[in-house]
Amino acid sequence: MSEQGEVVLQVDHLSKQYKKGVYASRDVSFDVKKGEIFALIGPNGAGKTTTIRMIATLLKPTEGDAKVGGKSILTDPAGVREGLTYLPDEAGAYKNMKGRDYLRFMAEMYAHSKQQADGFVADAEKICGLGDRLNDKIGSYSRGMTRKLLLARTIMPRPLVAILDEPTSGLDIINALEIRRKIKALAAEGMSFLLSSHNMLEIEYVSDRVGIIAKGHLLELGKPQELIQKYEADNLEDVFELVVMKKDIKGW
Amino acid sequence: MNKFLSLLKKELREMLTAQTIGLLLFMLIMMYSMGGMMTKSSEEAQEQSGRITICDLDKTDFSESVIEFLKHPTADMTNDVNVFEPESDDYAAELKRLGVKSFVVLSQGFSDKITSGEQAEIIYVSRMTSLATMSNMNVGSETAVQLISAAVKSALYTQKVSEGALTEAEAVLIEAPVGVTEHTIVNDKSENVSQLILYSSLYSRSLFMPLVVYIMVLLGSQTMINAVSAEKIDKTLETLLSAPVSRLHIICAKMLAAAVIAILNASVYMIGMNNLTINITGELPDDIGENLKSLGLVFDLKTYLLIGVQMMLTMLIALSLAMILGAFAKDIKSSQTLLLPLMFITIIPFMASMFTDISGLPGMFKYLLYAIPFTHTFTATDCVLFGKTNEYIFGLIYQIIFLIICLAITVKIFTSDSIFTMTEHSVGLFKKKAAPAED
Repeated sequence: MSEQGEVVLQVDHLSKQYKKGVYASRDVSFDVKKGEIFALIGPNGAGKTTTIRMIATLLKPTEGDAKVGGKSILTDPAGVREGLTYLPDEAGAYKNMKGRDYLRFMAEMYAHSKQQADGFVADAEKICGLGDRLNDKIGSYSRGMTRKLLLARTIMPRPLVAILDEPTSGLDIINALEIRRKIKALAAEGMSFLLSSHNMLEIEYVSDRVGIIAKGHLLELGKPQELIQKYEADNLEDVFELVVMKKDIKGW
Repeated sequence: MNKFLSLLKKELREMLTAQTIGLLLFMLIMMYSMGGMMTKSSEEAQEQSGRITICDLDKTDFSESVIEFLKHPTADMTNDVNVFEPESDDYAAELKRLGVKSFVVLSQGFSDKITSGEQAEIIYVSRMTSLATMSNMNVGSETAVQLISAAVKSALYTQKVSEGALTEAEAVLIEAPVGVTEHTIVNDKSENVSQLILYSSLYSRSLFMPLVVYIMVLLGSQTMINAVSAEKIDKTLETLLSAPVSRLHIICAKMLAAAVIAILNASVYMIGMNNLTINITGELPDDIGENLKSLGLVFDLKTYLLIGVQMMLTMLIALSLAMILGAFAKDIKSSQTLLLPLMFITIIPFMASMFTDISGLPGMFKYLLYAIPFTHTFTATDCVLFGKTNEYIFGLIYQIIFLIICLAITVKIFTSDSIFTMTEHSVGLFKKKAAPAED
């Protein structure tokens, strides 16, 4: 992890209510510093994706706000989109496009000049490591190849914050490991990440800080090792179980 | 046996989807609606054929007896015969003054010709107001022409038989005692040509435009629904909407691309159909071509331009509606189901405009059809060729308003949470339990 300090993502009391009284995400607050890998962990339906979608300006929060590089998702969503990239869970790409064309297309969305776009594409080609397969249509890619391409697409504009929802879901051990290493290497270069996962062991390995989320509530926040010590657990999975059980007993 | 029944039940459950049931219902409703409209149209045509408007320029006992025969062809039959005095020899002005679609003129010397053993002339004047099939069938005084022939034939037969043997020339005359000269009026212009010949000449072309519109709407909508639903299902839409790009640009690019593909498809069909039509019907004979030109029934640049504006609006409305519907899709199957409402509102005006003049339909049917924005494009050819300016302008304004509303809804969906939260079940498009909200 690089020197951290400057907050690049500030989430303040973010809530999303779909129906009256039914919150997908409630009063969630945390921040992500420059070069930090922050992970939201929780089971399916915990509210991770809803929180992430609000930060990515795809959903409007019912309450609260979030700021990316000081720009508010409420008042300046276009400005927020300039500073972040988002890789949704199980996302696909345009199957009829060649890998290289897809990278070019996405680069043009973020770049302010052709030269900058060329630079983005060159970077992405290195990051994804797909070589000549970039000349093939995405429809012919394996799941792992598609995920690498999408990760490269997410990282290439060097955003303030890259949001990765379940970055390694459905990937084999080798591909997952490669992606984790890339995330760590990029964070060391100063890029910030907001990850979401229900794979606790992966998060324990890759993230600097975690937020445990369940039923829309952020229940615990801290460094993985600190939380393991606090709950006298063997690993983050045990911490999660203890946190959720404790809260369940309290009946929130 | 139980295993077989279980398999059969599973297959039926898989095949008898909401889409299949929707299609069946759609066909049923469409047939009923079309049936209703056709009944009304043919009732009207039937009523019109019993109403005869005639002008007697001969004014002899014989011509008067022919008119009497028209009023009571048989003891138990009475026709509504209206005899009028002409105010001018301008047929178009006379039709307008009388407020009828057609009339028959017994020419001066009608009786003399019959008595001297020559074929007498009657003039049949009709107004052509639409290219729809029913509007060009049973056009009123056609019945009168047949009845006049029958009346003259009957009188001649009685007279000649009472006189003794028939000569060969008289026998021929009895077979066809009356010759008809037809005049067709279009937009106050008159040409010495049969309405039926004009209609036959234009029939293939009249089919052509609605077919192109129909294909354009369906292909464009399908492309758009598939594009939006695929983006939603593959989550490429989330990627795109989280990128620093205007959402209006995303919508416009999608619509433009789908429109280009639809126009490309329509052009291919247009060229193919045109070629097919010419091969089947052959080029128009020169004299008919001249008649059509004089009556203004030609597809010139202005006509194409006016129809083109309507077609473009229809295309944009269809694409906009398809974008809205595509936003409801949660999988490929549901995206196909979502095409049904669009098919429904396209095929009904398409079929109706082919068979009947929608502007002449009774109130309820007419306004229901006019409420469908695509109707105005299907009737655009009729409006432009037959000078129905008010109808054209009303259609154009209605389509523009409809398009603005559709675009506003599309923009609203794509700039709000709805694009990610709504499914066809969440708004009860196809009744099922509402899907739970995503994580």
